[in-house]
Amino acid sequence: MTEVWIAGAGMTRFGKRQESLPDLVAEAARAALGAAQLEAPEAIVVAAMNPEEFIGEGNFASQVATHMGYAHVPALRVETATSSGGAAVYVGFAAVAAGLHRSVLVVGGEKMTHLPTPRVSELIGRSIDPHERSYGATMPALAGLITRALIARTGVTLKEISQVAVKNHANGARNPYAHFQEPVSLDAVLESRVVADPLRLYHCCPISDGAAALVLTADPGSVRIAGIGQGTDTLAVRYRGSLVSFRATQEAARAAYRRAGFGPERVEVAEVHDAFAPFELIALEDLGLVPPGKAGRATLAGETALDGRLPINPSGGLKARGHPLAATGIAQIVEVFWQLMGEAGGRQVPARVGLAHSIGGLATNNWVTLLERVR
Amino acid sequence: MTDLIPASKCPRCGRVVAPPIPFCPDHPAAMEPVSIDGYGEVVSFTTLHSPPAGFRSPLHLALVALDGGARLFCHGAETKGIRVGSRVAVEEVGQVYYFSHLGVLDRARLFWRRAGDRGETVAAIVKSAVKRVWRRGGDQDT
Repeated sequence: MTEVWIAGAGMTRFGKRQESLPDLVAEAARAALGAAQLEAPEAIVVAAMNPEEFIGEGNFASQVATHMGYAHVPALRVETATSSGGAAVYVGFAAVAAGLHRSVLVVGGEKMTHLPTPRVSELIGRSIDPHERSYGATMPALAGLITRALIARTGVTLKEISQVAVKNHANGARNPYAHFQEPVSLDAVLESRVVADPLRLYHCCPISDGAAALVLTADPGSVRIAGIGQGTDTLAVRYRGSLVSFRATQEAARAAYRRAGFGPERVEVAEVHDAFAPFELIALEDLGLVPPGKAGRATLAGETALDGRLPINPSGGLKARGHPLAATGIAQIVEVFWQLMGEAGGRQVPARVGLAHSIGGLATNNWVTLLERVR
Repeated sequence: MTDLIPASKCPRCGRVVAPPIPFCPDHPAAMEPVSIDGYGEVVSFTTLHSPPAGFRSPLHLALVALDGGARLFCHGAETKGIRVGSRVAVEEVGQVYYFSHLGVLDRARLFWRRAGDRGETVAAIVKSAVKRVWRRGGDQDT
């Protein structure tokens, strides 16, 4: 199997954007190709969760390729709900590793802020089991159930959960690409309005527009994709034995660590899928980065802060950097790449090995990617 | 007193799910139809104050682990007095499952029906009552 390297990374600022989705995707792609000093990739993998409904466009890979002047480059689209970006990186990785192409542009994006919030929630909610949806289950509703179970079963406190949002907003304030660049106080999080009891507004990520891109290549560079893994679980949450850990994360992590030949002990920085603040605590334990039952206390003690033992979500995470669905899984890897290259500006942490973790749906289709700087 | 809930059981792994489905989520095996009691324990619950279109606010939603093995999404009239682990009854009204808190008489009747001999029955009722008194310290378990 050919070793796969990251030759360049780029992204748009996330947030409320006026540009069209093809324009945002092109902006991110040009930034990544420019950084890689590559005029044209041999293939393109596009991630978009639902351009049909969000912007009324179909055949999206061809549209994006043509829009960027790459109508002659083979392009395809990949989708695994909110982790589509992670899936696209996997497909690009597989193409290079198998020797099918020497360079692949992986680009993902979403445009949603032009729609009313209930409409966006409904569209994202379609990734939930239809029977559970018929009871009014939305993503925040399921996250509310998980949060209450987490508090009751593990002893995690609402204060510890809220500190995740405080930390990620503090990181986002140092990231010029972030949707939110303002810090928030613990009181502000605890006093924000209840969305799905006990989950509050500031525990939830925003609705954002944006795009992110990576150039993967077989030509040896500085940072390699050491491992990548997929994990899955039942679409229906009621079929699962536990609400307080995600099998899809555990299996994705196991596969990624196995491929990399090392475990969580070597990870020095991570971007995890904090669509809801408690999900970051669940991820830390499912990924083996923090011992079981310790994630809340570690967060409150500052261990996962920018200057902590193990910085988590230095970009601000989904909470502050924003969550343009299919862009997110790629943006996480862009951030880890920049961190390993020493290009993360005011939020730089010292690290040679980093991890990215992306959740699709309510943890039905998750991805874990490990990057290692080797020179 | 309460309904039987139609469910499915996997002949290979024994997993029980509700409502019934044709295939096990983890095996390509045809499920067998079973009926399970509408009693169980609250796994978690939440209240939505801005529920999706078509639902009245506030929307009380619970995930209930039925004694027969399946977990079920339910609506409820309220969540007052409900905690993670609370015993509830589940009933179908107009093709929607609703949870409601089990009173002490309901519990006694339930244990009476379940238990095999008198000794077991008495022990179960005493255990239930003791648990109830013990829980009183923390909150209202009515």
